[in-house]
Amino acid sequence: MKRLLLIAAALLAACSPPPDDPSRTEITLMRFFGSCESKFGAVNDVRQGVGECGIVTTLVNEFNATNGEGIVVRTQIGEWGPYYDQLTARLVAKDVPTVAVMHESALGDYVRRKLVRPLHEDFARIGIPVDDFTEHARRGVSFGGKVHALPFDTWAWLWHLNTGLFKQAGLVQGGRAKLPGSPEELIAQAEQFKRRTGKPYFAWAVANETAANFRSFLTLVAQQGAPLFSSDGKSIDMRQPAVMKALTLMQRLYAEGHVKPHLDYAAANQAFLNGEAGVLLVGTWTLDQFLREADKPGSALAGGYEVVPFPQLYAKKAVFADGHAWALFEGGAKTERHHQAALRFLKFVWSRSGEWARTGHLPVSRQVADSAAFKQLPMRAGLTEITETGVGMPGNVPTQRAIELLIGEDVANLMLSNKPVAEVQANVEKRVNTALKKARR
Amino acid sequence: MSAVGLRASRPAYALFVLPFVALYAALLIWPLLKGVFISFHDHDLLSNESFWVGLANYAELWDDEVFRQVVGNTIRFVAISTPIFVILSLSLALALNRPGKLAFLLRATFFCASVFSVTLVTLVWKLALMPGRGLLPQLLTALGLPELPLLTDENLALLTVALITVWWIIGLPMILFLSALQQIPAELYEAAALDNASRWRTLTRVTLPSLKRAIVLVALIELIRQFQVFPQILLMTNGGPNNSTRPIVQFIYEQAFMQLSLGYATAASQVLLAIMLVGVSAQIWIERDKKGGRA
Amino acid sequence: MNPLLRRGWFDRLLMAGLCLLALAWMLPLLWVLALSFKPNEFLMARTDVFLAPPYTLDNYLDILGTSAVFRWLGNSALVALLQTAGVLVLSSLAGYGFARCEFPGRRWLFAFVLFGLAVPAQSVFIPLHHQFTSWGLQNTHAGLILPGLAAPFGVYLMTQYFKAIPLELEEAALLDNASRLKTFVRVILPLSLPAQATLGIFTFLACWNDYLWPLVIATQPDMYTLTRGLASTQTNFAQSEGLGFLMAQAVFAGAPVLLLYLFFQKHLVSAVSSR
Repeated sequence: MKRLLLIAAALLAACSPPPDDPSRTEITLMRFFGSCESKFGAVNDVRQGVGECGIVTTLVNEFNATNGEGIVVRTQIGEWGPYYDQLTARLVAKDVPTVAVMHESALGDYVRRKLVRPLHEDFARIGIPVDDFTEHARRGVSFGGKVHALPFDTWAWLWHLNTGLFKQAGLVQGGRAKLPGSPEELIAQAEQFKRRTGKPYFAWAVANETAANFRSFLTLVAQQGAPLFSSDGKSIDMRQPAVMKALTLMQRLYAEGHVKPHLDYAAANQAFLNGEAGVLLVGTWTLDQFLREADKPGSALAGGYEVVPFPQLYAKKAVFADGHAWALFEGGAKTERHHQAALRFLKFVWSRSGEWARTGHLPVSRQVADSAAFKQLPMRAGLTEITETGVGMPGNVPTQRAIELLIGEDVANLMLSNKPVAEVQANVEKRVNTALKKARR
Repeated sequence: MSAVGLRASRPAYALFVLPFVALYAALLIWPLLKGVFISFHDHDLLSNESFWVGLANYAELWDDEVFRQVVGNTIRFVAISTPIFVILSLSLALALNRPGKLAFLLRATFFCASVFSVTLVTLVWKLALMPGRGLLPQLLTALGLPELPLLTDENLALLTVALITVWWIIGLPMILFLSALQQIPAELYEAAALDNASRWRTLTRVTLPSLKRAIVLVALIELIRQFQVFPQILLMTNGGPNNSTRPIVQFIYEQAFMQLSLGYATAASQVLLAIMLVGVSAQIWIERDKKGGRA
Repeated sequence: MNPLLRRGWFDRLLMAGLCLLALAWMLPLLWVLALSFKPNEFLMARTDVFLAPPYTLDNYLDILGTSAVFRWLGNSALVALLQTAGVLVLSSLAGYGFARCEFPGRRWLFAFVLFGLAVPAQSVFIPLHHQFTSWGLQNTHAGLILPGLAAPFGVYLMTQYFKAIPLELEEAALLDNASRLKTFVRVILPLSLPAQATLGIFTFLACWNDYLWPLVIATQPDMYTLTRGLASTQTNFAQSEGLGFLMAQAVFAGAPVLLLYLFFQKHLVSAVSSR
């Protein structure tokens, strides 16, 4: 009944245009995360938001309702897949949004072309404490030593575990799943898992997927302390021993049946949720939903569901991580007043950044990360370390979307087509170096 | 006034074609020329800065083994799908070119899939082909057949996407043939009936010859469309496995939007244009040959 | 009577076979319909379900609850209808001009137009975007409609169709001293209804489901077309987390076109029984 009333209200709202008010300062906000108007369109309290869409919608709603300065944030939702294509088209067409959410890995190309406003001084002036940014967040939004965006979250590459199956395989320690500490241990434990449960250890998204493969690969290389890219971000070294070890491990795991074969993203999630594999490699964003799944009666995760950062298999603790950040664009604010309004909005987002952590993503404020409220959220305590150990491609590597595609594609071929490791190394190095050389900034 | 009247050449008649040609020149030819111009530059998509490089982009394409593979994939895709499109849609049109509710329903059924967007079509087939739990693997297992990794096998992926494409848009060439069938004069059929011609003879002596122009048209339109195949491959295999399905247009998209290299991307699109020009010219020339006289 | 229409055992077998084929053809779409009534959370874990519970109307209610959805529907409808009308008018006129009229330069102009058939959309996509944005046509209906009017396929189709119309019909009209234009409108056009219906459906569908061009030219949410607008409402991993919603959106977006097809289908197969 309430839903129907909301829909009726929405339809009525669509018919009547809002009156033009000169005392309003309207800024535009471009984002993904989808739309959930029917559930949260009228909710003005971010604490009541649930899920990525719900929380970011209520965040904006609350700001609009409570800022008291006549600032109105108009949300413009873009589709996630072609988000950057659309953003680029908008910038080229001079239809620039005031604020936009972006992945930190995508910021670099826009910053270097001077399309994004540096915010270092603004943050100091309005009181956003850059020193409170976690290490990963700071790295993600800093270019040339200056901060260019407000970090929103850190998301990382996790192992989601079906503890029940681990118990069945005899891989438990103190009631919790026993994790490998080295590649050899991993192989041994995977073999034991398969023997005892008859199921593969891993469910990976390998088919039709480049990001997942790239992230696992980068994690393994980073854990060996090896820099994949040169310090100027203009070349890649795929021939170093760390790379060979990482690729060999991945190929061996897949070839020996420790990874359920041929799965794409949706299939891997389904396999895990139905208890067909012990470990799912996916990010922080599914945490919330998987927890709900595990609580359902008769769920395959009823025997226990755990989440850990990608375990340390080599010398160094590292895991792939990226983050979302809010950037202000050159030409996106019509007047200085609009720019200040946008900054007020960012300040508000910062003050509520603890709420966003309820999605499963990690906080960007050290205070929030250390707070009891955050640590009490299920499983988060074990993930906090990622705010320091998280790594991605260095910020000076250009066109990271394209580079991720080139690397991820061949890593997938390593497994799907059993492409020889040496061939993958040579091929990726050649193609990535060509691409990096061509990228002009 | 007879045939001469119809054949009289008057400049005023050009007004029939002028509106279209004006729009065509402004919105297709002019941007095309600009695109060719850009292909001689190194042009950054995001900052819009560019500098002249002459034929360097084309030389690089020539040496690019990924591009060569991509051209090969596209040609293979067209070679697989176009004959299937033409033959299947012709057969369906011939069989369903009749009045009655059943034929109406059947025509609508085969057309139905084409109203859906490519995102949905690829999504539902990815689910149907999901290893182990998808509809198709379950069917194969039930029949005792081995489960084939249709989308992840280098030799099968392109064929699979081609067949899904046929499933998706067979309706359109089918209605093209249907509209062409309506043009066959009733007298021809009456003459055949008078001669007590069998169905087969009617088909081969009356219907098919009258459809020659339509067959060339359908082959042409499918050629054009399948050379530009892109979203379904992007969404189902992302060009893999091992670059065995990546089409030219995906290459162009990746170069332009991901590597921000607009000059290189437009050079690749000119190569696609050249390839398509060969195909289109060949088709039109075939048709010209068959008729002679006015083209 | 058309020998092809004789009823016999072969005919019945053929139709039976086609019915089976049609059923198999429809199966994935029926599945889409079934999935659209399932909750998203449920579908994250399993998709190999058909008619079994749970059911929900939430996915459709979510679509209707998005206040902009009817604006998007209106955008798509307006743009598709105007573009289709434009293409039909322009292509018919030009097709007639090329098929039946003689004027200086006709052959060259026709070859010039046919060349356009080989031009892939990607060759012109970005320069066209530059052009339109410099003319200030981004986020306008004109920006969405105009490029489709320049496609030569319609002209080619109509030219071929008009060429097949017997000359005698036109000559008869001209004998009555009718102008070319009148002949065209009174005699030729009515004969070309199947081609008009085909081209109309083709163009409408291409416009309705257009993917890349609306993405870059209509970037403001109130100018989104239906497919783009619905896509923007999906969460980031909708193929896994929002599957029911995706299916409902597809049904919602596909239904109008299907209805349009059913409406115009009667012009496709006209008066066959008289043959």
